[in-house]
Amino acid sequence: MGQPHKAKFRNLFTLILVLRVSSAGGFFSSLFSGLFGTREMRILILGLDGAGKTTILYRLQVGEVVTTIPTIGFNVETVTYKNLKFQVWDLGGQTSIRPYWRCYYSNTDAVIYVVDSSDRDRMGISKSELVAMLEEEELKKAILVVFANKQDMEQAMTPTEVANALGLPALKDRKWQIFKTSATKGTGLDEAMEWLVDSLKSRQ
Amino acid sequence: MYTLFSGLYKYVFQKDEYCILILGLDNAGKTTFLEQTKTKFSKNYKGMSLSKITTTVGLNIGTIDVGKARLMFWDLGGQDELQSLWDKYYAESHGVIYVIDSTDEERLSESKKAFEKMISSEVLEGVPLLVLANKQDVLVRLVSSLC
Repeated sequence: MGQPHKAKFRNLFTLILVLRVSSAGGFFSSLFSGLFGTREMRILILGLDGAGKTTILYRLQVGEVVTTIPTIGFNVETVTYKNLKFQVWDLGGQTSIRPYWRCYYSNTDAVIYVVDSSDRDRMGISKSELVAMLEEEELKKAILVVFANKQDMEQAMTPTEVANALGLPALKDRKWQIFKTSATKGTGLDEAMEWLVDSLKSRQ
Repeated sequence: MYTLFSGLYKYVFQKDEYCILILGLDNAGKTTFLEQTKTKFSKNYKGMSLSKITTTVGLNIGTIDVGKARLMFWDLGGQDELQSLWDKYYAESHGVIYVIDSTDEERLSESKKAFEKMISSEVLEGVPLLVLANKQDVLVRLVSSLC
């Protein structure tokens, strides 16, 4: 009577042990995320080609300026900022591949829209791409943060000028914020990310 | 019949929607006011910690229900340069809340100037105005008549 009971007990013990070994990480991380809500945030970096999206992505991830080539396709990296984990997607910005942006829209928490502030000629194109993107149902709840990038250039437009050129004041039911950044100099990115983290944490 | 019931349903449950602008100089406390209002009037809103609030360079929004009305707030950045964005919102606003930092005597005339420019806009004619002499908890403050 005692023997089988003992065996059963040992089996149970092994089972627990196996369970713990195999999925301790997963179990505890899911418990942790359940308790504290540290879900990985999904962020898209969008904008025209040559705006500086890839440079921004790697500035955020490794803190350095990397040499980039035009992105055909996408780069995806995990970035940790203030204990919040981001899955950041940097999608290619060339005309021919912009139609593919929409394939990545679902479950997006925030969009970082990057603009080359010195490229006055293409502000209009940048605006229409932004407007088209924001009309998408899947991005209804996404927070918008605009990076008025390349502020180190002499002829750069001010954030207000960029905001007007992009038609941001026409957005009436979405929280947005614009930051002046220089990805190569590394300025403005910290403020922008800090704002984004706080906004994501306090989302209704 | 359907129209009758849907009309009745709408009459009973639909809320009137109003858009309210929150304006004022930077650092007057507009975003803090919005966050506090949201926390107070919406049940499941945690609110962001007030110390985390930074300068707004864009738009913050908030929706609350008060009685039969639904108020939608637009909190705009108050920096000098950003004031040029304010008038883009006038046409659709049903009300304006103007926030003043009562402790900042130096910038009172600047606030007055911004206020006068805003209030002289024809689009805002007849729109109700609520002025908040904010930061009354701080010791050195102006009495509201001075503002």
